[in-house]
Amino acid sequence: MPVHESDVCVIGGGITAAMLIERLAELKPGLRITAVEAGRSIFDRENRGTYHRRAIEYGEHPWHDDYIDDQQAKGMISMTMAVGGQALHWGGACNRFSEEDLRLKSMYGLASDWPLEWNELETYYVDAERRLHVAGDPSPYQEDRRSAPYPQPAMPLSYNLQVLKNWAEQSGMKFSPLPLSRNIDKPHGGRGACGLYDTCGDVCPTGARYSPDYTYQQLIAANKVTLHDRMLVRKLVLADGNDAIVGAHGYHQDRPNEVTEYRARWFVLASGQCWSPHLLLLSATSRFPNGLANRSGLVGRYMNGHKFISAQAMIDEETFPGQNMTHSLISREYFRCAAGKPFVRHDTRVWESAAGKEPRLRSGDGRLLLGDELLTEWRSRALKGSSVRLRAYYDSHPSADSRLTLDPSSKNRYGDPMPKIERQLDAAALAREGATMDHVTAVFERMTRASSGRLVSKPVNSSYWDHPAGGCRMGADPATSVCDSYGRTHDHENLFVIGAPTLPTGGVTNGTLTFVAVSLRSADRLAQLT
Amino acid sequence: MKRRHALKTLATAAAALPLLRVPLEAQQLSSDHVFVLRDVAATVLPSAIGRKGQDEAVDDFLRWIRDYKEGVPLSHGYGEPRLVKTGPSPAPGYADQLASLQAAAKARGSRFGALPPADRRALLDEAFKAADVRALPGRPDGKHVVADLMAHYFRSSAANDLCYNARIGRNTYRAIRVTTVRPQPLAAPAAGPKPQVR
Repeated sequence: MPVHESDVCVIGGGITAAMLIERLAELKPGLRITAVEAGRSIFDRENRGTYHRRAIEYGEHPWHDDYIDDQQAKGMISMTMAVGGQALHWGGACNRFSEEDLRLKSMYGLASDWPLEWNELETYYVDAERRLHVAGDPSPYQEDRRSAPYPQPAMPLSYNLQVLKNWAEQSGMKFSPLPLSRNIDKPHGGRGACGLYDTCGDVCPTGARYSPDYTYQQLIAANKVTLHDRMLVRKLVLADGNDAIVGAHGYHQDRPNEVTEYRARWFVLASGQCWSPHLLLLSATSRFPNGLANRSGLVGRYMNGHKFISAQAMIDEETFPGQNMTHSLISREYFRCAAGKPFVRHDTRVWESAAGKEPRLRSGDGRLLLGDELLTEWRSRALKGSSVRLRAYYDSHPSADSRLTLDPSSKNRYGDPMPKIERQLDAAALAREGATMDHVTAVFERMTRASSGRLVSKPVNSSYWDHPAGGCRMGADPATSVCDSYGRTHDHENLFVIGAPTLPTGGVTNGTLTFVAVSLRSADRLAQLT
Repeated sequence: MKRRHALKTLATAAAALPLLRVPLEAQQLSSDHVFVLRDVAATVLPSAIGRKGQDEAVDDFLRWIRDYKEGVPLSHGYGEPRLVKTGPSPAPGYADQLASLQAAAKARGSRFGALPPADRRALLDEAFKAADVRALPGRPDGKHVVADLMAHYFRSSAANDLCYNARIGRNTYRAIRVTTVRPQPLAAPAAGPKPQVR
């Protein structure tokens, strides 16, 4: 059996692993760090212009072979399993959570508090923003205080978004450009400047939108990490006689019958909200029959994230769809809920849109439209006001039965049951679903009152929870949590879980910056211990 | 006389323009088929882009066909992802569709482009209904080559610019500062198409 030894073995190769390794290597030069990732490395940045073009022209997925056929989960929001993870094709949104997210229990009597202080988390937000080279403007809401400016000014608003900001702010809400992890006007960190290809969620031809593959390549080149890709870790190995983790068993895609044993003093599980609890559950032993790190029985529970409500509006103002479809406006007006009012928290987002303004082959009465007639009919709709896309991510507190379980009906090539995620709201969140919809609808309607606006249809609730997290929640009490505030598991002193899985609740806006911030905090703690 | 003049004009134009500027595999479209497609393009694409622009749109379409790859995963999507791969090339039916269209045109007494507008519309209406083409496809899907050509053009960044008469440049490289101001209008001829088919 091949054996690979290191000081720290990181299982998972996504954005939180990249950030943790980068930080750890800074704090502890010479530390031997190994990253083990089930998916492959996709380091062919020279081809990304071609991938971009083919994604636009043919709809082709630009990240070739970034998934493993038999390693898929029910209820997972992305198939991607590769070095860089889902942040290979994220939009780059870098919103902070608010202080209220950490104090839901003490402020509102809901869900649970996080076991860390906002002021401390805020310093890690600053570090995360620096590493991701976030472009943002200070929030117009003074409660959203920050201790350091963003590394770059916000991405300039397109003409369209300027028009939409003027429109949206007539509601009395304040909007600002969405903070983005993009190099705005010059290269940074080995990545190019933004060329506004507007395909951030697919592939960025210049690398302006941060993706972790760049970090991994830099770390590898500097000998700060050894990366083993295409190596699926199927089991963590417990020591005989104590609760330390002594190994991880990996199986390479090309050598499915050969076990590679990873030995390390410290193990970091950085496989996201799905595969981290999955591995712990898979690694059950006679002493931990319900899975490792699971004396609390909470591994795979409190799966969170947030639901969202979407709507399309039409307004009188003129815009030109296609200027910058991936940039947006955000209002943090409802990040906090006044005392004595029914509880509701959400962000409010605005995008330019071309919905309802696509070319059509036939007129309303069924007449075939050709050439200039088609263009004329198209213009008659396109040039008449503007379409606007609206969305609100809202507080969706999970119940303990919001779960990831092992699904015996779906197994990989080794016979391991795959994860099944079924999210559920807790009783209080379920009870306020209707009121939340009413509130968000009223907010959208208030916005549309300006410029003869109207909602095109009734706002709709999401069919999935976005920005998923949870499954190994942090807490001070080992009876009610899986790990401490640093991600160190209560049951195994040399095992950390980092990032999304550790979040007790999922906030009301994009989660990646928070996943990174708590992971950087984990890195600091780990550096103290090593 | 009028028809003879039109044919002569077309022959002159054909001599000046290579009919098959985009190399295609033999089983796809012959130069005769491409000739028909260019003839049809003048009816189904906007006059504002001119004959040259229409030819370029056909070239782009042919290039798209040539570079099509079968069995390639499409974007998995996000939220409720699923693995879907590109299907067979839409091109194999194109030659027959163009031949049928040309035959139907000849049955009415002329090549497609020389027919009266009402006849051209009727022929395409009939062809689209037979092929169950009810809307512009998101991308060429092989149901009918003319609908695919139209979709390929009208869903392009260039067509978006033409529609709004503005230099938007969707999904193309742009300097950010360019997008922070109202887009500049296109050159004058694009602004006012004159309906061609009645």
